[in-house]
Amino acid sequence: MSADLTSPGQPATPPAATNGGGVIHDIGYRRYDAERHGRPGIVAALTWHSFRAAFGLGRGAKAKIFPVLLFVLMCLPAVVNAVGLAIRPGSQPVVSYDAYIPSLRTVAMLIFVALEAPNLVSADLRNHMLPLYFARPIRRIDYPLAKLIAFVLACLVMVEVPLLLLYLGNVTQQHGPSQVLEQTLQLGPGLLYGGAWALLLASIGLLLASATGKRVFAICAIGIPLFFSYILAHVLSHVGEQAFGPAGLGEPSALASLAGLISPFTLLGGVLHWLQAPRGENVQAQMIQATTIGHYGWVYGAVFVVLTAAVIGGLIARYRKVGVA
Amino acid sequence: MIVQPMREQDPRDPAREPEVGAVVEARGLTKRYGTTVTALDNLSVSVQAGITGLVGANGAGKSTLIKILLGLLEPTSGSAHVLGRDCVRDGFAIRMLTGYMPEHDCLAPDVSATELVTHFGRMSGLPVTAARERAADSLRHVGLYEERYRQIATYSTGMKQRVKLAQALVGDPRLLLLDEPTNGLDPAGRTAMLDLIARIGSEFGISIVVASHLLGEIEQICDHLVAIDGGRLLRADTISSVTKATAVLLIEVEEGTEQLLAALSARGLSPASYQRGLLVRLTSDEVYDAVRDSVAALGLPLRRMEQRRHRIEELFRADATVDGVAEPGPTAGPDQTTGAARVR
Repeated sequence: MSADLTSPGQPATPPAATNGGGVIHDIGYRRYDAERHGRPGIVAALTWHSFRAAFGLGRGAKAKIFPVLLFVLMCLPAVVNAVGLAIRPGSQPVVSYDAYIPSLRTVAMLIFVALEAPNLVSADLRNHMLPLYFARPIRRIDYPLAKLIAFVLACLVMVEVPLLLLYLGNVTQQHGPSQVLEQTLQLGPGLLYGGAWALLLASIGLLLASATGKRVFAICAIGIPLFFSYILAHVLSHVGEQAFGPAGLGEPSALASLAGLISPFTLLGGVLHWLQAPRGENVQAQMIQATTIGHYGWVYGAVFVVLTAAVIGGLIARYRKVGVA
Repeated sequence: MIVQPMREQDPRDPAREPEVGAVVEARGLTKRYGTTVTALDNLSVSVQAGITGLVGANGAGKSTLIKILLGLLEPTSGSAHVLGRDCVRDGFAIRMLTGYMPEHDCLAPDVSATELVTHFGRMSGLPVTAARERAADSLRHVGLYEERYRQIATYSTGMKQRVKLAQALVGDPRLLLLDEPTNGLDPAGRTAMLDLIARIGSEFGISIVVASHLLGEIEQICDHLVAIDGGRLLRADTISSVTKATAVLLIEVEEGTEQLLAALSARGLSPASYQRGLLVRLTSDEVYDAVRDSVAALGLPLRRMEQRRHRIEELFRADATVDGVAEPGPTAGPDQTTGAARVR
């Protein structure tokens, strides 16, 4: 103890380092009187910290394997597209901005959300770290909000960066500003639609992950419902088509049209289908999820909005109630 | 409800938070969970600057009180102020000035202490560089040096407790709320942790409320003592007024206890037999000399001479005028000793 060095509020003199014993001298307590961030700064710091956690940054190499692998997989079609266009100039792009590669996006995002959402919220629950957060100058809502923003951003990176690569690959093969403008106009809706993916999947993933502190349980709690609802949506859609009216003859049945509401992935496909309908691009949407929406496109839109709001509300409610002990 | 008057200010350090009368002020604080569980029952207490021990058996309401003070729980009725700010309305401002060390394990195992404390420095509003500097400072203050770069999973319980204290300290708080900081530590670890807390309180000029069910250890470092049981205040007073009048010296000799009794009586000390030894009231430091001289003069083999206090729970019980007073805590037994001097 060195009481002589420490008068509170005064920076003490630096220590004279000793070489031999490696003893670090007590330099006394230093007060912090400089600038502090307010609530927005703290939320931003938590958001950035959580965003990095989604990709395993700041943790060991093992934590980075899956997010990096999935990201590379997601980017692969865009790269293939760019290479293809470069080798055979003038050929049509093989990947669309709206749907990208639907099956790849579905599988990759399912795995990404199931694996990474627990890293953002379950770990803090498991390690009982919430009291440390809530004892800080933030409000209850700030924690889930920062986590949500961070994970939506992480999902955006997964969904949108491949689109941007796709765009770059396409644009380099275009000639003249009008063609570039055309590409840009096509990219816009694709980015927006990707945003819908990120928002819905990130919030669903966080809500389910926040139910448990156990990582394995959290992964299952996300992965199993997402996967089986997707399968179920397809099964019901086929049943609806075959039992209640063949898809080729007249209008598809209500069951076939509404089955897509069951799964977030087919729901998103239905939303795209609905939004594209006025533009007469149904071919794309059919390709996306192999489900049909009939006249119920507006239902898909409404369910998307209501579901997203409900899930985000549920996430906030979860952290309003969570114990701090 | 009894509220004992307390000293206005710690006389050792007049610069310590002079503008704030009471660090913590609770008035008629009541917290009920549902209709059956009453964690705090009309608790009124005022805590001055310095180190204050918040003692009570497990379930007495210590943790509930701390969470209300942090603005994490809303009281059912009554009010509380921390550093002059209302806990219900101004919890945000209170948390800016307060560091909290929870009772339970609360550390991520897969990061280093440096990363964790830096992160919580940022969560306290520090910019990146300041958070890194203060994290290094805080960890050094709690006695973690090179090991702070290792993953927390590899730490001993004592090191984890130190990290918990460091994360409370990193935001440069005016008040530290420590919930059972010696939990799970061995005797040496307890002593080290208590020394650390005492040092933070006396040298760093940070007021501390330290909750514990171990009266024996908390009285070593506290200026004030607040005892609660069943959510009610048993007693709040300075530690010296609680314990000074009751300090006694226990002397054990291998043989010749009777001779020593007579010799001490001759010196006017009025010793009393206690188990295999003698108890002498410690009225002044001269008592030590008298005992030493008596033992030496008789040539007796001295086995033990230690200062001890009565079980403080019993003091509270004797002083309390309310019903439902404390049961003796688990460790407040006859081995509650301070300043033990063992011979042979």
